[in-house]
Amino acid sequence: MRDKRMVLFGFVRGAAAIALALAVGTIFIFLSSDEPFTALKYLLIGPFVSFHGGVTAFNTQNFYQVLAAMIPTIFTGLAVCVMFSANQFNLAAEGCVLVGGFVGALVGIYVNMATGWHAVICVLAATVVCGLIMLIPSILKVKLGASEMVTSLMLNFVLLYIVLHFLNYHFADRSKGATMTYPFLDSAKISSIVPGNSKLTWGFVIALVISFVIWVFMYRTRWGYAIRMIGINESFSLYSGMNVGGTIVLSSVIGGMLSGMGGSLEVLGRYNTFVWRELPGYGWTGVTIAILAKNNPGLVPLAAFFLAYLNKGCQLMSTHSDVPSEMIDIIQAAIFLFFAAEQFLSGYRQKLVVKTTREELMRAESLKATEGE
Amino acid sequence: MFGQFFQTIFQADFLFIIIRITAPILFAALAAVISEKAGVANIGLEGMMMITALFGFLFAYWTQSWVVGVLGAMFVGILLGLMMGFFSFKLKTDIILSGIAVNMLGTGGTIFLLYMFTGLRGNTGALVSPNILIPTIDIPLINKIPILGDILSGHAILTYLAFIFVFVMRTFLYRTPLGLKIRAVGENPNAASSVGVSVIRMKYIAIAMSGALAGLGGAFMSMYYSQGWNQGMVAGRGFIALAAQAMGRGEPVGAMFSSLLFGLAQAMKTKVSGLRGMASYNYLIEMIPYVVTIIGLVFYAVSIKRKARRHQLRPIKEKLQ
Repeated sequence: MRDKRMVLFGFVRGAAAIALALAVGTIFIFLSSDEPFTALKYLLIGPFVSFHGGVTAFNTQNFYQVLAAMIPTIFTGLAVCVMFSANQFNLAAEGCVLVGGFVGALVGIYVNMATGWHAVICVLAATVVCGLIMLIPSILKVKLGASEMVTSLMLNFVLLYIVLHFLNYHFADRSKGATMTYPFLDSAKISSIVPGNSKLTWGFVIALVISFVIWVFMYRTRWGYAIRMIGINESFSLYSGMNVGGTIVLSSVIGGMLSGMGGSLEVLGRYNTFVWRELPGYGWTGVTIAILAKNNPGLVPLAAFFLAYLNKGCQLMSTHSDVPSEMIDIIQAAIFLFFAAEQFLSGYRQKLVVKTTREELMRAESLKATEGE
Repeated sequence: MFGQFFQTIFQADFLFIIIRITAPILFAALAAVISEKAGVANIGLEGMMMITALFGFLFAYWTQSWVVGVLGAMFVGILLGLMMGFFSFKLKTDIILSGIAVNMLGTGGTIFLLYMFTGLRGNTGALVSPNILIPTIDIPLINKIPILGDILSGHAILTYLAFIFVFVMRTFLYRTPLGLKIRAVGENPNAASSVGVSVIRMKYIAIAMSGALAGLGGAFMSMYYSQGWNQGMVAGRGFIALAAQAMGRGEPVGAMFSSLLFGLAQAMKTKVSGLRGMASYNYLIEMIPYVVTIIGLVFYAVSIKRKARRHQLRPIKEKLQ
C-alpha cells in the first residue's frame, strides 16, 4: 500500500515538474514568437508527427533520429549516475566524451585492421584512455582532498585544448578547407541498424545493453553497493571498514570509461572524420539525465529518450518558426531545478503519508476488534 | 626565445594587462568567498556572469548609460542568487545542482534571451557604442609617476572597485555584526541557530551578495573587457574563480592573490602566443590558465593536509617531551 502510493507520488511529482518546466517554456515562446502555436506544435509533437502537405502521419525518420541522438547521452548519463552515486560531483564526462571520440577516430584511421574487430578495438582504446584520464581528478580527491568538481571542470578545458592541438598540428588533413582528420577506415565505422540517413547505429543497442550491465553492477554487486553506500553515508562506510578511497576512484574510472565509450561510438557512427572543434555538451546533458533518472541506471535510457525528444522538438521549432533552438537550455534548467528539488510537492507527499498511516491504523484496530470478539 | 620572452614580461604594459585581466576573476572570486563563508558552494558563478553580462549590456544599451547597465547587472545577479537560494534552501535542491542549472541558463538561455530581446544571434557587436562602455580614469598624481603611473593609472572604474572590494569585504566579514553572523552560519549552522541567528536568512543574504558581485564581474566582461556580449565570452572564469577562492583559503585577500596568479597566467598566455616560433603551440598555450588552476589547487590541498597533520601531531609531540 505504502510503496504503491510512493511510486505513484514519484510519477505525479515527475510529471508535475515536467509540466511546470514546459509551462515556463511556453511562456517564453509566447513572449518571443509571432507564431507561438506553430512553435508549440513543432516542439511538442513535431518529433513524431510529420505535417507534410496537410497530412499528419507518424514520422519514422525523425523517430530514428531521436533514438540515434540518445547514443552518446545514455553513456554520459550512466557515467554521471555512477559518479554521483558515490557523491562525486565529477563533471569531466564532458571532456572525456571529446577525448573518447578523438582517440576512437585516431585508432580508426591509423591502425589498419581488416576484420570486424577494428571498431571494437577503436572503442576499447577510447574506453581505456578515458578511464585513465579520470584517475587524475579522483586520485587528487582521494589522496589530497582537492575538490573533484573544480579539477574536473578545469580538466575539461585542458582536454579540449590538447585535442585541438593534436587535431590541428599532427593529424589534420591539410587538403580540406576545414580542420578535420583523414576519413576513418571503413572497418572502423559503426554500421546502421535501420536503412536511411538517421545514423541509428549498433551503438544504440550497445548503449541499452550497457545500461542493463551498469544497473546490475550498481544494484547486484558488492562494488556497486559500496559505491552507493559511500554516496549515502561516507563516514559510515569508512567506519565499517570499506575501502572508501579505492571505491571513489573506481566509480570515477567507470564514469570515464563510459564517457569515452559513448564518445567513440558517437564519432565512429555519425561522422566520416573527426570534426568536433569544441566540447560537445553531452557531459552536461548526462548530468540532467542522471538527475531525471534519480541516479538509477535502469531509468537512464528513458530520461535520455525524453531529452532527445525535447531536443529534436526544439530543433524542429527553430527551423519551422522564429524561436531559437537554445530554448532547450531554459526548459532543461527548469526541469532540472524542479526534479532535483526534494521538497517539491512535499506537502502532498506528507498528506499521502498521513493518509496511508491512518488507514493502516484503522485496519489494525479493526483487526484487534475482531480478535477481541 | 627566452630573452624575447623576458623582454615582453618586464614591461609596464604587461603588469597593466595583468591587473585588467584579474579584475573580472577577482569579482567572481569575491563572490565565491562570500557565499562559501556562509557554507554555500556557488558553482553557478559561470552562468551568473554570462547572464549578468548580457543584461548589463542590454540595460546600458536601452538607457545609453553605463551606470544603469552596471546596476542592472548587479540587480539581475541578486535575482539569480535569490533564485538559487529559493530552490536550494526552500525546495532543497542540492546547491551544486542549482548551480549547474544556472550555468545551463548561462550557456544556451542567454542566446535565447538575446534573440528574444534584440533579434540578434550570438553577439551584440552591432549595438556597441562608446557611451555604454565603462569609462577608464586617470588617477591624478599617480599617473605622473613614471612606471607606476603606467601600471596603476588608466584602468576602468570597476577595476579599481574590484581591488577596493577586497578590503571592504574583509572589513565586512571580520568587523561587522552581519559579517560575523554569516561566518558563524558557515562554520557551524547549529551553533549559530542556537544563539538566534536565522541560518536561512544569512544564507540568502550571502548568495544575493555573491550574485551582485558576479553581476559586477559580468558587467565588466561585456561592458569593458570584450566591448560587447558574445557567446563563450566568460570562458570558464567563473570556474577559475572557484579555484581562486579555494586557493586563497576562502579569505578575501588570499583570493585576491590567487586571482592575480590566474591573471598572470592569462596574461602570459596572450604574451607568449604573440612570440615568434610559438604559433604552432597556440592551443597548448591556451591551456596555461587551466593547468595553473589545477596545480594551484593541488598545492593548496597539500598545504591543508600538512597543516592538519601538524595539528594532529602536536599533542602527541608535547606528551613525548
